[in-house]
Amino acid sequence: MLDIKLPEFEKKVYPELELSLLEPSYKINLRGKNRDFFTKAGKLLSIMLPIESNTSANIKNINALWLSPDEWLIYGKDIDKNLEINLNNEISKLKYGSVTNVSDQWVIINFKGKNIFEVLSKGSPFNFNDFKGKKNVVVQTLLNNVDVILHHQEINDLNLFVRKSFSEHLWLWINDSSRFI
Amino acid sequence: MFLINCPYCGERDQSEFSSGGEAHIERPKQPTELSDDEWADFLFMRKNIKGIQFERWNHSHGCRKWFNLIRDTSNDKIHGIYKMGEKPPKV
Repeated sequence: MLDIKLPEFEKKVYPELELSLLEPSYKINLRGKNRDFFTKAGKLLSIMLPIESNTSANIKNINALWLSPDEWLIYGKDIDKNLEINLNNEISKLKYGSVTNVSDQWVIINFKGKNIFEVLSKGSPFNFNDFKGKKNVVVQTLLNNVDVILHHQEINDLNLFVRKSFSEHLWLWINDSSRFI
Repeated sequence: MFLINCPYCGERDQSEFSSGGEAHIERPKQPTELSDDEWADFLFMRKNIKGIQFERWNHSHGCRKWFNLIRDTSNDKIHGIYKMGEKPPKV
């Protein structure tokens, strides 16, 4: 039987940096590329899926992250549970695209503060120089050799997505790195 | 180490990518009609040249899309990048 227990990370505070777990959150992976897919997804989410690379769109409590030209991650807290059912009925069942609930696959760690990129730069090959000055930008990269998705939703407020099985290891690494900013 | 300009995500470090070997090797249309030598030639034999080579790469830690890249294997200088299905630029 699958272990769907979420990790329990206590909130940590470091100089100009706060780390906390943003769970439970609802996450849906959307894949598709034809016109009907975009129309249906836009209508059901009340949000246009971002088509520009490395960007995100958000409305109320729903965020849509660009992952690739035909893949998006929808996430948020307190999302209506019927959304997934509606997406499945209107997109998946009609074969316009695929809808996968990945709520238990990814864990979100929230970073707040001026030192976010000081910590991330220690273990990532990505150049954060332009990224840190923009909001609603997304990047998929590596952090300490672990695949992560970074959503810079506001300046100095970032959500990091990591696969659940790697989350504890990465959480420990982030905390260890944060001690030496 | 070198930087690769993913046609979908932009410039990223090489460590985010996986090499898929030589590009533009067509799968035979009728594999059953090939001799063992011809099949082995398709499966295993690669040019592996020192110099400009057309290669397939995958942005495995990013958008997970495949694309083609023209690379000088002697110095890792990249001479062009183009999406799958597009014609290679002249080098």
